[in-house]
This record gives sequence, C-alpha cells and structure tokens, in this order.
Amino acid sequence: MTQSKRIIIAAVILVAIGGAVVGLEALRRQRVTEADLEPGSIPIYVDGEMEAAFTPGDLESLEQVSFQDAEEGKTQKGWMLRDALLLHLTEENLTPQTEITVISTSREKSAELTWSEVNDPSNMVMFDLSGRGTLKLVSQLDKLNTRDEWVQDTDRIEVEAP
Amino acid sequence: MKDQYFSTFQLILLALFAALVVVAKIALRTPIQMPGHTGIFWMAIVIVAAGVVPKLGAASIVGLTSGILAGFLGMGDFGALNTFLSYTAVGVGTDLALLLLRDPSHPVAAPLAAALGHMGKFLVKWALSAITGAPAGFIALGLARALVGYVIFGALGGLLGALTLQALRKAGFFAYTAEKV
Repeated sequence: MTQSKRIIIAAVILVAIGGAVVGLEALRRQRVTEADLEPGSIPIYVDGEMEAAFTPGDLESLEQVSFQDAEEGKTQKGWMLRDALLLHLTEENLTPQTEITVISTSREKSAELTWSEVNDPSNMVMFDLSGRGTLKLVSQLDKLNTRDEWVQDTDRIEVEAP
Repeated sequence: MKDQYFSTFQLILLALFAALVVVAKIALRTPIQMPGHTGIFWMAIVIVAAGVVPKLGAASIVGLTSGILAGFLGMGDFGALNTFLSYTAVGVGTDLALLLLRDPSHPVAAPLAAALGHMGKFLVKWALSAITGAPAGFIALGLARALVGYVIFGALGGLLGALTLQALRKAGFFAYTAEKV
C-alpha cells in the first residue's frame, strides 16, 4: 500500500471517530435533558424548589473573568457564580449567611459556600468551562482552591436560607 | 540468551521521554485558552520518541510511564485514574496510528498519527465522563470545539516532532544511537 493511501485511510478514521463522538454526544444530550430544561442547563433550587436554571444563553449577558490557580498556575477563565445567581434570584433572597451548594451528581462532589463568600469578587468563585464543555466550579478561597476541592461537571445549584 | 524486544538503552530513552512529557505538562505554558493546546508539546515528544526508538510499543511505553508519573503527581482535573488512562491512550493511539502510517518523520503522516494519538486522550476523557454519568456539555458545541482543539494541537505537535526527527537525522543522531542499541 502506498503512503498516500495510508494517509487517506488515517484521515478517514480520524473524521469517522470525530463524527461518531459528536453524534453520540448529541444523542446523549437529548436523552439526559430534563423535560423543561434546555440541554446542558443547571437547575437552581431554592429551599428545595426548582426556581430557575442557569442556561447556556445566560452566558451572553455575563462578563468573563479569569485568574491563575495557585496549584498548577493554569488560567481559569469563566463566569462568576454570583453573576449567574443574580440573573435569576434577587438580592433580597440572599443574605450573607445564605448557603449555596454547588453539586456534581456524577462525581458525588459538592462545595458549600455562603452568599458572602460567593459575593466577594476577590474570592473568584466562578465557573470555568472544562475541555468537554461542562462547568467546573473553581475559586481562590482557601477551602476551594485545589483540584480536589473544585466541583467538576456541575449539574445542580442549591440555595438555602439559614 | 533471548534478545529483548527493547534494549536497556532504548528503555532508558523512553523513560526519559516519558519524564519529559510530564515536565512539559507542568512547566510549559501557552497563552492559548483552548482545550488540548498542550498537545503541541507532548505530541511532539511522543512522535520524537517513536522515531528515536522505531519499534511498535515505544509510544505506548512513553504514554504508560508518563501516565504513572502524572497519576502519582496528582496532575489533571479529574483524578488519577483519568490522568493515567488518558496519558496511556495517547501512547497506544499513536502506536496504532503509526502501525498504519509507519514513518513518524513524514511531514504528513506524523501530524496525522499525533492527531489520532491525541484524540485517544480525548476519547478516554469523554468515555469516562459518559460512563460516570457526567452532565451533557453546558455549551452545545463545547465538545466539538474541544475535539477540534485536540486534533489541531495534536497535529501541530506531530509536525513539530517530525521536524525534530528530520533535524536529528541531519545531525547524525541516528548513526550515533545505532552503535548503542
């Protein structure tokens, strides 16, 4: 077999694998979407009731921010959790002691924060977009500044009054 | 005595390349904020390794060894198993691609082999997240964007590796190592 034929076969394999992955992911997006939610959206529960959802469309109205993490020195770039919450909740719902829990069901991880921590811009409590397109909660808070503590593949936010 | 598939000298070279992959991942930074951008560095190293030790399995050994190192160093956002499997997949994927494409110093074959190898890492991350029930991507085209990033940066790394191999050949490196093997 000539080298050019080998190259063509490899290119076809590359395109076929890529197409299969994108196709399977599209199917998965359709299956896992909750009835009233846009695919990929993150529901926000207030005192146990679903109040709203953080949707991909929300990103257009949010300012992007970034910081370099202390652990690996990588740039984490995304959208502040504070801004995402304030798109759907009023500040009247949120006292400094209001508990905000960001959850990843698949990873069985969560981060519990207070509104005062989330609302402080210097803490950089924000969502970074992971390589595969899911949201990862990162921050510069001491209790949430390493990869072990971050919440990858976030799929739920709970807000509870103290 | 039965001949070893890899000589001790070759294994030492491969271990050094594996360490270089991990060091590159830790130390080298680019301002590019796209998924898979580090593929420029490590696919170049994997392709050079496959060219310097031209035997099937060389890239896999680099992937496996760097995966063990990276896993123990706690690298990656998704845990040690994810890190180990994704690094290993890079090596195995590159080896499989080179089984078809053969010459890692070819300016077209090397980028393709590296793109396929780097896609192996992407596939592992995607498959593990699907198996663990991770949510669908927040942005509809987030996964496609990541996939394109992995392919492009992997291919660029492969091209860099092929150019390095050509430069090593011109410099007489392969004549030197032929005496050591």
